[in-house]
Amino acid sequence: MKIRVLNIVVFIVALLFAVPASVDFLKMHKNEEIAENPNLTEVKMLSAYAPRLKGTDLDTEVYFFDSGVEGGTFLILGGTHPNESAGMLSAVALIENIEVTEGRVIIIPRTNNSGFTHTSPLDGMQDFFTLTLSDGSERSFRVGNRLTNPVDQWPDVNYYEGTSGRTIYGTENPEVRNVNRLYYGTEDGVLTEQVCYGIYNLINEEGVDLTMDTHEGSPEFLYLDCTMVNMKRDNTKAMSIASDMALSMNFDDLDMRVEYSGVTSYGLSHRSLGDNTDSMMTLMETYNPSMGPLHGKMDDDLIINGNEPNYYEAHKDGYIYFQVPEDGYPLIERVARHIACIEYLSEAYSWEYPEKAISFTGLGDYYTIVEGGFEELLKPIV
Amino acid sequence: MKKTIAIIVIIVVAISVVSAATKTTTPSTGTAQGSATYSAETAANYKYQTSSSNRMVTIGTKSVDFEAPVLVTSFGQSTDGSMIEQVMKRLKTVSYAYNPTATGADLDGVKTVVIAVGNSTKGLGAAGISQEQETARAKEFMAAVEKKGVKVILCHIGGATRRGSLSDAFADMVLPLSSYMVVKEDGNEDSKFTSYASAHSIPITLVYGSKDTVDAFRLIFN
Repeated sequence: MKIRVLNIVVFIVALLFAVPASVDFLKMHKNEEIAENPNLTEVKMLSAYAPRLKGTDLDTEVYFFDSGVEGGTFLILGGTHPNESAGMLSAVALIENIEVTEGRVIIIPRTNNSGFTHTSPLDGMQDFFTLTLSDGSERSFRVGNRLTNPVDQWPDVNYYEGTSGRTIYGTENPEVRNVNRLYYGTEDGVLTEQVCYGIYNLINEEGVDLTMDTHEGSPEFLYLDCTMVNMKRDNTKAMSIASDMALSMNFDDLDMRVEYSGVTSYGLSHRSLGDNTDSMMTLMETYNPSMGPLHGKMDDDLIINGNEPNYYEAHKDGYIYFQVPEDGYPLIERVARHIACIEYLSEAYSWEYPEKAISFTGLGDYYTIVEGGFEELLKPIV
Repeated sequence: MKKTIAIIVIIVVAISVVSAATKTTTPSTGTAQGSATYSAETAANYKYQTSSSNRMVTIGTKSVDFEAPVLVTSFGQSTDGSMIEQVMKRLKTVSYAYNPTATGADLDGVKTVVIAVGNSTKGLGAAGISQEQETARAKEFMAAVEKKGVKVILCHIGGATRRGSLSDAFADMVLPLSSYMVVKEDGNEDSKFTSYASAHSIPITLVYGSKDTVDAFRLIFN
């Protein structure tokens, strides 16, 4: 009798932990809704380009905007690293607002869909952050993690050689769950590498001319407010187009550097997709203080307002190269910077290749976006 | 037992004190406050002449006319050469060509060369050339420039981050033949360029930001 009672008590106690954990687990697997845009022409799943992804947490939506006017094709990747929130939000804002007038724009807002389903608990991360919109409604987004959830891909093997020749071993083991280390990918690879393979196939099958992979970096990173460009040795036009974009941003009083893709940056999108496809590859980074080890309390304020005094002090003391603003670097400014970069890049590309022009409207310039804030940028979900 | 604990505590405290005392406070390399070729203190003492409200300052008077066609090249393969190409494009009226790996053979018919000095290991890698090859090309190019009497405009728009020993070595190869300099002022925090300009009566335009380079070149090419 006593044992029976004890069993029931243990079961109830286990349920007390298991039920909330299960609810939380399932909540993290629910993708945020994206508001309808009448200009959207098609939504496919990435598994259309990498069939083995079908039915897995790594399969993800691909949004197509086709103007019907002949031109080039621009692929925009958001959420390659889900915790780099400005990248995902830039992609979402583009999906909800743009009207493509020349060529095609293809957008993947959650490139590593699995990465959105977990966080880095030991870094004190929270699950969600919430933005208030113009009608007073709220939209919450997951913070996510830069790597695939181990629930979807486990264990991290001791040694892995990607298609690009990059070898992952030792302390770098978890990077075998990093989409931006496994390009150009293979259908026989680990699930994360199959995402890379899907994007590689998409670029080839859809004839993508220009790709932007949107990222953020911790304040210690040397290439913030910087766009990496793959320059094929027989073609200096890629850097010319990127420099045109950077100069245009300078004219808007926005710092933007351009830098060549590192020779040994194997497995990264700008290097390995650039080397192995016909697309001009770019990757842009903005400053995100919530990603760095010096960040204080993790809350909506840090994620949305981007104000971390520890980093300002570290910069003043000469330890952080990036010019950390004293009042922070809000998420809306980082999103606006990504969008401005994308707009100027398509403009510069169209100038260089008028027969493959890519044009879109609907978002305004950097200052319009910042002034309107997320209240105006994101649409309420009805 | 208490003795052992006390000894362990003393050892830990001693190690912490020694570690704190010997901890370096040198900023990491590539800080905006100073680069490999000058100290952070030098940079801190530098008095800026440009500002957000006074974006361009020219010291000296242009004594030669710079004519087209213009050849834009890079010494060091940084992205600054490509930026200058975009600047030339925006001038619209100047006939130019951009060749980041130009040699003396590319100087035929060229009246003016604009050389963007600034070393980039990523750029050298992208171009598939070594530092030694780049240095040899730069030497050969400058020898041909001197022989053909082509006018030279030195351009350093990469700021403090493009002031390393190799970048400076490229600048030193160009300075003796320069007739004009355009320098983004945060790359002059040790007065390297203004001092040379002053000592050799070479006009120099300091710019506050990259975009001001367009106005600087408008001034040069009238």
